[in-house]
Formats: sequence, C-alpha cells, structure tokens
Amino acid sequence: MGIVFTRLFSSVFGNREARILVLGLDNAGKTTILYRLQMGEVVSTIPTIGFNVETVQYNNIKFQVWDLGGQTSIRPYWRCYFPNTQAIIYVVDSSDTDRLVTAKEEFHAILEEDELKGAVVLVYANKQDLPGALDDAAITESLELHKIKSRQWAIFKTSAIKGEGLFEGLDWLSNALKSKSG
Amino acid sequence: MSGHDSKYFSTTKKGEIPELKEELNSQYKDKRKDAVKKVIAAMTVGKDVSSLFTDVVNCMQTENLELKKLVYLYLINYAKSQPDLAILAVNTFVKDSQDPNPLIRALAVRTMGCIRVDKITEYLCDPLQRCLKDDDPYVRKTAAICVAKLYDINAELVEDRGFLEALKDLISDNNPMVVANAVAALAEIQDSSARPIFEITSHTLSKLLTALNECTEWGQVFILDSLSRYKAADAREAENIVERVTPRLQHANCAVVLSAVKIILLQMELITSTDVVRNLCKKMAPPLVTLLSAEPEIQYVALRNINLIVQKRPTILAHEIKVFFCKYNDPIYVKMEKLEIMIKLASDRNIDQVLLEFKEYATEVDVDFVRKAVRAIGRCAIKLERAAERCISVLLELIKIKVNYVVQEAIIVIKDIFRRYPNTYESIIATLCESLDTLDEPEAKASMIWIIGEYAERIDNADELLESFLETFPEEPALVQLQLLTATVKLFLKKPTEGPQQMIQAVLNNATVETDNPDLRDRAYIYWRLLSTDPEAAKDVVLAEKPVISDDSNQLDSSLLDDLLANISTLSSVYHKPPEAFVSRVKTAPRADDEEFADTAETGYSESPSQGVDGASPSSSAGTSSNVPVKQPAAGAPAAPAPMPDLLGDLMGMDNSIVPVDEPTAPSGPPLPVLLPSTTGQGLQISAQLVRRDGQIFYDISFDNGTQAALDGFMIQFNKNTFGLAAGGPLQVPPLQPGASARTLLLMVVFQNLSPGAPNSLLQVAVKNNQQPVWYFNDKIPMHVFFGEDGKMERTSFLEAWKSLPDDNEFSKEFPASVISSIDATVEHLAASNVFFIAKRKNANKDVLYMSAKIPRGIPFLIELTAAVGVPGVKCAVKTPNKEMVALFFEAMESLLK
Repeated sequence: MGIVFTRLFSSVFGNREARILVLGLDNAGKTTILYRLQMGEVVSTIPTIGFNVETVQYNNIKFQVWDLGGQTSIRPYWRCYFPNTQAIIYVVDSSDTDRLVTAKEEFHAILEEDELKGAVVLVYANKQDLPGALDDAAITESLELHKIKSRQWAIFKTSAIKGEGLFEGLDWLSNALKSKSG
Repeated sequence: MSGHDSKYFSTTKKGEIPELKEELNSQYKDKRKDAVKKVIAAMTVGKDVSSLFTDVVNCMQTENLELKKLVYLYLINYAKSQPDLAILAVNTFVKDSQDPNPLIRALAVRTMGCIRVDKITEYLCDPLQRCLKDDDPYVRKTAAICVAKLYDINAELVEDRGFLEALKDLISDNNPMVVANAVAALAEIQDSSARPIFEITSHTLSKLLTALNECTEWGQVFILDSLSRYKAADAREAENIVERVTPRLQHANCAVVLSAVKIILLQMELITSTDVVRNLCKKMAPPLVTLLSAEPEIQYVALRNINLIVQKRPTILAHEIKVFFCKYNDPIYVKMEKLEIMIKLASDRNIDQVLLEFKEYATEVDVDFVRKAVRAIGRCAIKLERAAERCISVLLELIKIKVNYVVQEAIIVIKDIFRRYPNTYESIIATLCESLDTLDEPEAKASMIWIIGEYAERIDNADELLESFLETFPEEPALVQLQLLTATVKLFLKKPTEGPQQMIQAVLNNATVETDNPDLRDRAYIYWRLLSTDPEAAKDVVLAEKPVISDDSNQLDSSLLDDLLANISTLSSVYHKPPEAFVSRVKTAPRADDEEFADTAETGYSESPSQGVDGASPSSSAGTSSNVPVKQPAAGAPAAPAPMPDLLGDLMGMDNSIVPVDEPTAPSGPPLPVLLPSTTGQGLQISAQLVRRDGQIFYDISFDNGTQAALDGFMIQFNKNTFGLAAGGPLQVPPLQPGASARTLLLMVVFQNLSPGAPNSLLQVAVKNNQQPVWYFNDKIPMHVFFGEDGKMERTSFLEAWKSLPDDNEFSKEFPASVISSIDATVEHLAASNVFFIAKRKNANKDVLYMSAKIPRGIPFLIELTAAVGVPGVKCAVKTPNKEMVALFFEAMESLLK
C-alpha cells in the first residue's frame, strides 16, 4: 500500500532518480556533453582517466549521470558501473569515420551485458558541427542499430559545442524511463 | 535425515562485504557516507575490504569534505593492491586539484603523492605541476613535498617534467613555509641521488636566511640542516650567517637549537677573529645547558652531541661542569654520558670538586657506574699532572673500602698512572699487594702482574707473588698468561737468582709446549731465544724505557670528529659513527641488463606489488660518494612471465644457475625437431634434441632469429627431470643478427637435478636472452641416449642375469609399425645406439634376437626382439631390475626401430 502510494506521489510530483551511463570511444565528447547538460556551457576538457559523475535535473527527473573515460585502457572497467543502470547514452563522434567499426563493436558488446538487459539506449551522433560528419541515418547504419530488438532505443543528431540535440535526446529519455516504470 | 534439514545450510545473510557494497551504491548520500565509514572501520581493524575498491572510489566525487577524506584514506591504503583499478580515481584527483577550495586542492595533491602505483603516476604530473604554481601557499607547500615523494617512486619522471627546477623556484617563494618545504623536499631528493641536485648559492642563502625567522620550528630545522651544507666563501660571510642563525639558539625546540649549534660550529672554522669566536662560545653555552633540563631521552641525545662539541671546543662549556654532575635519579645511560663529559671538562681549576663527585659515585650501588667512576679518577690523574697525587689518594681511600670490584678497577687505573708517571708513586705498591688475593678479573690480574714485574726490584717478595700466580698458569686467560710471561722474564732479568730461574723454565715450557695460543707461543719463543743468545740484549729489549702514555682513550680521530660535527642532531652524532656506516641511501641507476631483468619480472608479476615495485626500483649502494652500481639482489634474476608456475618454482630452487654464453661453436647435422615455434617465441625459433656422441650426452640446439632485432645473451636452464639432466657448461651462442641462426652442442651432465616421482621422459627447458622474456618449452628425453658403451654382455652372463631376474620383471610390447628388413642392418643400427647384439635363434618363421643395453648407475636391460623379416610388427620383451623404467625403455626402442 505504502509503495503504491509513494509511486503515485512521485509520478505526480516527478521526483524520480535515474542512473545513466555515458559511454563511447575516447574523444567522442562525453565529458563535454555531461557538463553542457549540467551547467549549460562548454568547458575545456582533457581525456577522462576515470570518471565524472554529476546530477542533472531535467523534466522532473534527477539524472545521476556517470561519464566514463573512453580510452582503450579504461574501457574494461566500464563493467564496474553497469549494475542498477536505467539508461545508457552512447556517444559517437560522427566525424571519426575510421573508428565507427570500433564504436559499433564496443556498442554491441555493451548490449550483450546481462546487467544492462533492461537499460534504455540513447545514441548521440555527436559533432554534427564538424564538416564531414555523418548524419543520424548513416550512424544508425554503421552501428547496426536496427539489430536491436528487445529494448527501446533512439538516435539524435547532436553538437555538444553548439548545444543542439542534447535536450531533445533527454526528452526522449525521460519519456522512455517514465513509460518503462509506468 | 529429511530433506527439510537442508534449510539450515542456506542462509539469507549475504555477509558483510556484499552488504557494504549495496550500501555504497545507495542513492542516499548519508547512507553512502555511513557505508564508507564502515569500510574504513573494517580497514582499520585489518579486514581486507579491497574488493570494494570501485564502489568506494565511486563515492569520491562528492561535495562532502569528510566523505572525500575518507575515500582518500581508503585509496592510500588499497591503491597498491588494486593497481589497475586505481586508474579510475585519476580523473577525480585531476578535478580536485582544480577545486576552488585550496584545502581540497592540497588534499588531492597530498594523497596523490601517497599512491605509489606506477601506472597512475604519470597522470598525476599535470595536476602536480599546476599545484606547484598554485595561488595558495598551503597548496604549494603540499605540492613541494609531493615532488619528493614522486622522486622516490620515479626519479626520471620528476627530472623530465622539470619538477626539480620548479622546486628550486619555490625557494624564492614569498611564503616561508613553502620555502621550508621546498628545502626539505630538495634535501630529501639530494639524499637519494648521487649527483648534485640541490646546491645553495649565495643567492639562495639570503632567501633561506630570510625565511628562517618566519617559518615553523620544523621548517626551521629543515632550513638549518640544509644551510649546514653550505660552505661560506670567507670569514665575513661566515660571520653574517652566524649572526642570522644565532637567535635560533633561544628556540624552545631542541632540534632547532642543535641544528643552529651545528651551523655555528661549522662556520666558526672560517671565522678568524678571536673575539667573535669567544663571543659565540659564550652564546652557545646556555642553550646547551638548557637541553639538559629536558626529559632523560633528550638529555642523552644532547649529551652525545655535547660530547662531540667539547672535543672540538672545550671552552664552550669549560665553566659549566656542574650541570654535568650526576643526579641520583638520572638513568644510567645519562650518568655514563655525563661522566664521560666530566672527564673531558676536568681541569686543574675544578679537579677538587670533580674528584669529590667521582668519589661519591664510586660508593653508589650500580656496579657499572662505580667502575666507570673509578676509571674516571684514573683518567683525570693521567690527564692532569698536578692533580695526579690527589687522584691517587682518592683511589687509595677507595681501595681501603675493600669492595672487590672497586679495588680491581683501581688497580687497573693505577697501572696506567704508573706508566704515565714512572718512578713517582711506587710507594703505594705495598698497599696494592695486600689486595692481591681478591683479584679475580683478568684485566685486574694482568695489571697487578704487570706492576709486580715492572717493579720487581723494589718488591722484596716479587718472586713469591708471581709464583702464586704461576700455579694456575694453564687455566688463566690469554691476557693474564701474556703478562705472566713478560713479568717472569722481567723478574729473571732483574733478579737472576735460582728461584726466578726455575720459574722462567716452567713458564717458558708452559708457554711453548703446553699452549695452543700462537701469540703466547711466539712471544715465549722470542724471549727464550733472546735469553739464550744474549741476556744483555734481552735486558735492553725487555727493560727498555717505555713511552709516556696520555689519556686519549675516548678521543675521536679529528677527521671523524669533523664529520660527526657536520651531522649534529642526527643519529650519526648519537652513534658517533659516520652516516654511511649504518645507512645507505644513495640510489644509482641499475645496470642495463639488470634493468631488463627487472622489467621481465614486472610484467610477469603485475599482480604482486612487491615484486613489481622492487624489481623496478633502482638498487641502492652503501656510501654516499660511491657511484658503483650494485647488482640487484635475486629478486629480478630467474623471474619471468610464468606460464608454468611449477616449472618456475623448480627452476628457482635449482642449484646450478643459468649459465652464460661463452664462445660460439657451430655444429651442423640433420634438422632438429622444432620445440619453440617462431609464432610462440615472438620470432625466435628454437629446435633441439638430445644426442649421444663419444660416450657423452649433448643437447643439440639451434636458434633461428626471425625477429627484427639482434638477440644476444642466450642462457639455458633445465628443470628437474627423471635423469637429472643439467647443462654441463655454458650455452655457446653468438649474438644473433635478425635472420641469422646458430646451432650448438651443449654438454649435458646427469643426476644433477633429479625430480622425484615416477620416471617420465619430460624435459622442461627455459631459454632466455637479453631482449625477450624467458621462453619455456618441453622436450622428450629419448632414453637411448643413456645407453652406455659398456652395455655389451657375454652370453653366459646374459643367461645368468635373465634367470636371476624374477618373471614379473619381464615385460613385452608390440611395435606394430616397426619392420626389420634385414637382421644385420638392424643389429648394426642398434649397436650404434649402444644396444648390443648377443645371440639369435629361429622360432618358426620368426627371428628372435637377444640384445643388451645399460643405462647409468648400472641398470641393465635384457632384450628379446621377435619379428619376421620384412613383415611389420616387432615384439619386444625386456627384463630389467628397474621396472619403473620399462615404459621409457619401450618408447626408446620403438623410436630406434622406426
């Protein structure tokens, strides 16, 4: 009874928390996205050796966003952060066509993980401001997103530098999370 | 038991660690903080909570300073046991080192310095660089110390990143604490480096002197200690330094006072003006005296240092002898040191007072202290001629108390007094002789005997006295025996009468024939020959005038003294030993080949922190000035990547070490089986086979270098094996250029490193070179290489042996693939491998061959081969006393008959 009431209560006042992982290859723009979302400005970043964690309040949802370093040496430790994760934001550098294959492999490896079975997937095709950046359709193709069957996913064209597309993605994410927890 | 009972074995409790893990991942901050506190509590009581590493590190990015500090504490403790995961903390450190709060910045940089994980040190350089230039002095001073810590982990990195220059810049910092810490860090780095890193110039000198007045007491100690290494250019500069340092003498901290005293003493050497020196001596006395009102431990340290100071400049404390008088409740170690200093300060002016004190001490209860007091009186007598008589009268008074150890001690010092002032105080000999019977210590006895011998002509009954000692001559300690010998000779030379003549006969006999002591025997022979050749010459030698002695028993050599004075207020000045005698702190770069070994060790043992760090850390050598690299201890030697831990263990346990390469030889022959394919050996291919040549076993081995680099320094090692095969000499392989190959015969010896257990043909081999990791491969030992040339048996002995062995020692096996196409060819072929033909017979359509072979330690094999010529299939039957070897034998025969 109490639980039902709390749920009702929270859906009215929207006081939810969600744990989000921001993953992707190095230099995809994960840290820039995190701080763009949190502070609304572009900060200068250095390669993240380890992680950043910030809380982003959006659409009545408190996102606890974990930005994990994307360098090859750190990727094995991503799994330490998988438990209890509701959503993954996978960031792709759309202009780095050479490494799209690697990005795809890492992406599908993540999807295989048991601990992330229930996680919603949001893909940011980032760096749209750069010349030669592939659009969302091309990224969908390269990442073979259509192969995803049993989970919700979406892809958005973003530019963290310009601040475009990020919040549209979050809108989708908050709706997806709301509908999931019902 | 019913099925329900199983419920007792399943538990709903998850155990502490999973519970903590859950709490650490809680979404509530308070709960997370409590969980971290629980983790730290568990860590403090010694539970291993390292498995929670990532969960704790995830709590690191927090606004809460308390939580952050706890996580940092956890990191310092466990980063070393989780070196891979430690990298997850790097980003947080980088962020924290840019935090607006200077306390957090300093905390981050301090913690970073405490994490001794090679993998993450390089990431910490940038934050450290920033913090060294931070606006806040607290951050800068913390960063300065961090450089010293980092230098200990990775000296090269510190030098490459220019941190040493940054530290030197900090000497000019406007904050005195930063200056002090920069100096401390530089001094620390200098201590562990062989080349000059931190040298004070006249420019830095003035900076340091300015900072001196303003920084904390320990900061002052660092600065003063560094200043003591500075050599002033001239007297004026020295005076200037002393003037700036002198106020430190008033400091409440003993370490500051002693460091200041050190500098002043060193600079005084350069000051020429006697007025200034006298003035300084006056100024140094009160602070030194004040040190003696501290706790006994500090008093002791102060006394040890004062001991050095008064040896150099007795005038400083000449008028302060009273403060060194022992109090009844001083601990013994303080009393002993005080006595030593009292002797050094005793002069004609204060000797009466001092003697009164000594006499008092000589009646106390502590035996060691009493003895030392009595000796002190004697030493004063020797030191001060005018006071000698007073000293002797005190000694005589003490002898009258008739306390055994006092008397003995007194006799020892009186002997010295006699030597110092010959022909002056002999009147007291009679008194001494009264105590003759009570002497039981060797040194006292020897002294008394010396006195009797020396003054034999004045002691009427000298011969009787000596005779009483002679009765026990063989039982006496060497010291007493030597004195008895000399004294008897003296007596004889002075009173060549019948009594002494008999005595000398007895003594010389005892000391030559009956003794094992070469010193005694040699001396006795010298006397004997002297006496028998020319008694007059003997007189000249034995009774010659003796050089006058002086009291220098506790004086240090002047160069050592200067060395120790430069180390005042360190352990060195307490031990009275130069620092290099008890610590080694200079690090030198390891030799190139050691480094490679160390690297190998590191890759092999990345999980084991001690190996990894020890292997990589430079070795240390004794002596501050020595540049000679010292070979790394065994840690790095035979360690390697360990695909086969057992093999490695055995290899390390073996006696014969890896043998180095000598001269190259290049045999040729049929191609050898490949044992280490080039795919496994990173391009290096190794082929090898055991062969027998001229009655000896060799390992025919060839190397093909398919790598891009030249390979050299090949060594080989064999694991324990059934036959105890081991290398009988060095592996001779020349340096291999890319694409080159070399083949060599390595002489093998047997029964060197036998493995226990059932016999098998496995031979595990390890090969290393200077460029690659150690390679392991397995080879098969073909038993026929052991078949000896002496394996041929006569028919009769073969028959006898066959009969004598029980039937269950007989085994047989079919070799279906083997064909004997010609008896003669087979016999010849087998004979080449030392399987000797004895007889043959026909059985139906088959031929039966009888043969014999023998392996080392005289184990024979009696062989019966049955086969039809030209038809596949050979039946081999064998009888041998050693059943265990049969399987191996069949293997060998099968390969021979192929």
